[in-house]
Amino acid sequence: MIRKSRGAARVLKGSYLALVLAFLYLPILVMFALSFNESVSRASWTGFTLDWYVQLFHDQNIINALKVTLEVAVIATAASVVIGTLGAIGMYCMKQGWFNLMAVLSNIPMTMPDMVTGVSLMLMFVFVKVPLGKATMIMAHIAFDIPYVLLSVLPRLQMMNPNIYEAALDLGCKPRQALTKAIVPEIAPGIVTGGLLAFTMSLDDFVISYFTSNTDQNLAMIVYSAARLGVKPTMYALSALMFVCILALLLIVNRRSGLEIL
Amino acid sequence: MVQDTRLIEIKDVCKSFGDTEVLHHINLYIRKCEFVTLLGPSGCGKTTLLRLLGGFETPTSGQILFDGADVAQVPPYKRRINTVFQKYALFSHLNVYDNIAFGLNLKNPEALGAKSRSEKKEEIRRRVERMLKLVKMEGFEKRSVDSLSGGQQQRIAIARALVNEPEVLLLDEPLGALDLKLRKEMQVELKSMQQQLGITFVYVTHDQEEALTMSDNVAVMNHGRILQIGEPKKIYDEPKSAFVADFIGESNIIPGVMLEDDLVEMLGVKFPCVDEGFGENEPVDVVVRPEDVMIVGTDVGMLTGTVESVIFKGVHYEMMIDIGPMRWKVHSTTMQPAGSRVGLTVVPYNIHIMRKEA
Repeated sequence: MIRKSRGAARVLKGSYLALVLAFLYLPILVMFALSFNESVSRASWTGFTLDWYVQLFHDQNIINALKVTLEVAVIATAASVVIGTLGAIGMYCMKQGWFNLMAVLSNIPMTMPDMVTGVSLMLMFVFVKVPLGKATMIMAHIAFDIPYVLLSVLPRLQMMNPNIYEAALDLGCKPRQALTKAIVPEIAPGIVTGGLLAFTMSLDDFVISYFTSNTDQNLAMIVYSAARLGVKPTMYALSALMFVCILALLLIVNRRSGLEIL
Repeated sequence: MVQDTRLIEIKDVCKSFGDTEVLHHINLYIRKCEFVTLLGPSGCGKTTLLRLLGGFETPTSGQILFDGADVAQVPPYKRRINTVFQKYALFSHLNVYDNIAFGLNLKNPEALGAKSRSEKKEEIRRRVERMLKLVKMEGFEKRSVDSLSGGQQQRIAIARALVNEPEVLLLDEPLGALDLKLRKEMQVELKSMQQQLGITFVYVTHDQEEALTMSDNVAVMNHGRILQIGEPKKIYDEPKSAFVADFIGESNIIPGVMLEDDLVEMLGVKFPCVDEGFGENEPVDVVVRPEDVMIVGTDVGMLTGTVESVIFKGVHYEMMIDIGPMRWKVHSTTMQPAGSRVGLTVVPYNIHIMRKEA
């Protein structure tokens, strides 16, 4: 009797988990499958092809968007890593009360809806009469990337021996050398993780980019505008590639933070 | 060993953080090649005083002279002083070799007596090897510092500081995280390193035994003041106050009244002593070390009491003896069973009279 109900519980548990996973990943699998489908129709499978992927890389719009995406992501990541790391060091040196205040202030943008961030940034750019374009998009990305860098650098600083800076001074470093030769190398793993996170966030952002850019479109914006005209299988291929890239980045981030816990 | 020239002079130094004064008019000099210990309970200001010497804090007022020149405002990297930090503060991104070489790598080749970069590298290698030998860590060059035990990290921290050939080495409770046996070994090694290298050591600890074992001079601190400075034996034998007596070794502290020179009354009994210069009938604290109390027959004892408890401590027995108004701690190599009546006596020169602390 007991054994039987245990068996039932196990089946129930298993199928529940399967259902959740299917719900999450089946759509992505379908998208992958359709990106290899010869037919334009979503209803019938007529054979395997890589044509959509080939077409993708012949589409000048998409190539341009890829360039914009990478340019924005690389510049925004570099800038936010520098600003975020220095900011984290500054916060680390603050008194408890100020630190808590800054921590809250820098966490709010992360939880804020992208819509709010996007609209408010756009309003600000318009208000100070900066024409919308690639530059404003980069600035917006830097703004939403910084909290991710802070979030991964601060714990490294707090784990660090509190006397590291003084030890470097003691051994003959001038204050700036102590920063570059001791503090930064000590917290480097956190900086790299923060940079990867920021890069991932930049890569797939749509809402904030949409509000802060003008004619320069990134990949997410291309997918969105293509969808309005009816989705072509090239978009499946593009989405599939973006999924793979971001998955790879997130796996690296997870592996790194996993290593640090060990 | 200890030379007569004053290497460091601390003159009337005060230090406040906000409204709290942590150091109160400190005066202290440290001679060349001396091993000085700042001893006191936590929060007494000893670490702050050490940080002033290291240059990590600046005094609120007063002077810190190094070889006669005021260095109070000189930053740490310009001082010929190195520090061994409490939790070692090794650089975890560098291996053992690079940790020790850190300070030397920052120096000009000329400062190391080298003419070229390659000669400098060679010189650094030579000095690091010598240090590793001194701290008995040869063969650990390529190891990551996180893979070392606490004791090994401690040795690397000492090597990293000493390799820069400082005139003064500051040590902030360096043995605090080690187990008892390792601590005793390191005490002996530190002392012999100090004598071998002829460097001045300033050592901070709250462990009185550590202070007595290693130091040429001990400064006992409490509440931001230096209460007594002197050789370990002198401080132990002639503590100036009840606090020092209690902190350095164990003590029975008894309220008493100085009747006249060389005669004190405590617990209703007159004890001859060897202290003079107190006022007539001046209230005082009388300090008696547990090992200075002699157990005798009840008929000849100056005091009588009942043994309350006996603890075996290895070399001696520690007995708590109830003598009516208070209990005394007594150390003796012969055991008296709990419950027995004993007589107690103290010879005059083992009675230490302290002025009442304000």
